[in-house]
Amino acid sequence: MKRTLNIARAVLALAMVLIAGHGYAQSSLDLRINEVLVINDSNYVDTYGRRNGWIEIFNTAYNTVDIGGMYLTDDPANPTKYWIPKGDPITSIAPRNYVLFFADSMPTRGIQHLNFKLKEGGSLALFESNGRTMIDAVKLGPQKPDVSYGRLEDGGVEWGFLEKTTPGANNYTGVVVTAGEKFGAMDPFGVGMAVIAMSVVFSALILLYIVFKNTKKIYGINIRKLFSKPEVEVAEPKPLEEEISGEVNAAIALALHMYVNALHDHEETVLTIKKVARTYSPWSSKIYGLRNVPR
Amino acid sequence: MEHSGNFLSFVGEHLGEFFTYTAFANLTAGHLIMICVGLLFIYLAITKEYEPLLLIPIGFGILVGNIAFTPGLKIGIYETGSVLNYLYFGVLQGVYPPLIFLGIGAMTDFSALISNPKLMLIGAAAQFGIFGAYAIALLLGFSPSEAGAIAIIGGADGPTAIFLSSKLAPELMGAIAISAYSYMALVPVIQPPIMRLLTNKKERLIRMKPPRSVSKTEKVLFPIIGMLLTTFIVPSGLPLLGMLFFGNLLKESGVTKRLADTAKGALIDIVTILIGLTVGASTQATTFLTAKSVGIFALGAASFVIATMAGVLFVKFFNLLLKEGNKINPLIGNSGVSAVPDSARVSQVVGLEYDKTNHLLMHAMGPNVAGVIGSAVAAGILLGFLS
Repeated sequence: MKRTLNIARAVLALAMVLIAGHGYAQSSLDLRINEVLVINDSNYVDTYGRRNGWIEIFNTAYNTVDIGGMYLTDDPANPTKYWIPKGDPITSIAPRNYVLFFADSMPTRGIQHLNFKLKEGGSLALFESNGRTMIDAVKLGPQKPDVSYGRLEDGGVEWGFLEKTTPGANNYTGVVVTAGEKFGAMDPFGVGMAVIAMSVVFSALILLYIVFKNTKKIYGINIRKLFSKPEVEVAEPKPLEEEISGEVNAAIALALHMYVNALHDHEETVLTIKKVARTYSPWSSKIYGLRNVPR
Repeated sequence: MEHSGNFLSFVGEHLGEFFTYTAFANLTAGHLIMICVGLLFIYLAITKEYEPLLLIPIGFGILVGNIAFTPGLKIGIYETGSVLNYLYFGVLQGVYPPLIFLGIGAMTDFSALISNPKLMLIGAAAQFGIFGAYAIALLLGFSPSEAGAIAIIGGADGPTAIFLSSKLAPELMGAIAISAYSYMALVPVIQPPIMRLLTNKKERLIRMKPPRSVSKTEKVLFPIIGMLLTTFIVPSGLPLLGMLFFGNLLKESGVTKRLADTAKGALIDIVTILIGLTVGASTQATTFLTAKSVGIFALGAASFVIATMAGVLFVKFFNLLLKEGNKINPLIGNSGVSAVPDSARVSQVVGLEYDKTNHLLMHAMGPNVAGVIGSAVAAGILLGFLS
């Protein structure tokens, strides 16, 4: 019974350390194909004054991600179709920001101009710089002229035709309500906040209370004993444990402090002619500390 | 003769122009009021010794921030590229408060809390002040983010208040910081009447069990487990809680004395100087003297009162559940607000007024440091919900 209890305690202690949600890496895998315009009749014009299909890539991370070295392709059989050159400032995508690529099959016009054009019913994919790991892909079904197809919210899961084309801007064009405003609307008198927040504060500190009430028991677990065969316990006379209070400790510490102070004299400042004996060591030898005359 | 006349008019013109650059020419009544506030802070710090380490830098910062100047010379704290603006960066981006928490962690002895963990709950109860002030701020018409930033004054924790307001309502940060530090300095004035009002003589005379001795292992485990548990629950409190517990581990591990000494010595001193001066300087009359600032001061006072009441009343309620001999003196309830160690000192002083031999300081330190953890957790919650 005692052994089972010990195991349960050990498991509880381990669980506290190991219970964790999944984390989010902030890397090239945070890039998303965010919006695509396939048929551009009277929409966004590139720096050459031409209208072509375009692709918007969104950095969902909260740090800068460099898209340089990765691949864009419209052909699943050829993942390395367009290599995005490295080292250009355009390829460094700021946190929660965008970069545009023009699918005009004119790669000589700059690194944002791809060597393929987007087609209705085609597909589009972004591959890691190893040319094998797919970061994101989208199937392009039937398309409408000058209407972009994209994620309804930046980096979100749902795709659809967007009300407004938003190259290099937020896909969601409705009224943005901040978390604070939402909370305020739902909880105009702050009662909800008080209840939720106080529950969380109490839970955190109650958890600490429970843990520290039992800390001694937890770290007192004899791991070796847990996994060894149970031995016949021989009753040993337990030493009498006396709880020493903080006040007693303080009194002992003060007494020791006063005693040590009383012992102290000024021997560091006393001059002596007694020889100081030191054991010889080549490390402290003056000979080895001197610079040799160059030969 | 004509040449010398031209020269004199040239000198006169330029002296006149120079005068337009001086603070005398640009001075407003607001600047004068703020300069008086700065001088009052310095006076209180030097003569009354109210939080001098904070009020001297803040008070002098207020003087610095309210020297009227012609805009555009890269002088003011709000002018991009000015020296003060660079120093203010640490406040705006919330860099300084976690560094101060590192120092606080390296200074704090959590033994009182570890030896009597139930005192943690008092630290939690006192956080009612924050959420009471939040509700009142909403009623007064502040937006939820502003209300959250103002409410944290009730946590009685300057760095936390600066950290949260820099995230939720940067435009109110100066007023919030000044209000938080002012009330922290006034803890010995605000709390005793409330404590006396809410307790009877019998309760004030309760003697608590002396705290047990705490082993080194427990002290080392506390910051590790404390950090993991609290930040797993409120990850948004990580900058403050992480640094607080890290500083404490440096202290308690016993093997990083140099790092702990730096954290609680030179580092916290440097950051205190910078944060105090720049927060003070951010109170330029033009941006600070508004009706909102007055509201913030009123709400700050309300949150302190609510926090103190909540702490004392919670102990009284808790005592109903405790056996005779284990009861807690409600005079330590006030120390749940995290003005370390002032509120614990208030418990001690008020306790001694009724029983000269009943020393409450060590007991009050438990809820006091729990209050630091509690207010950081509360700040994390507000940040999580409102940012």
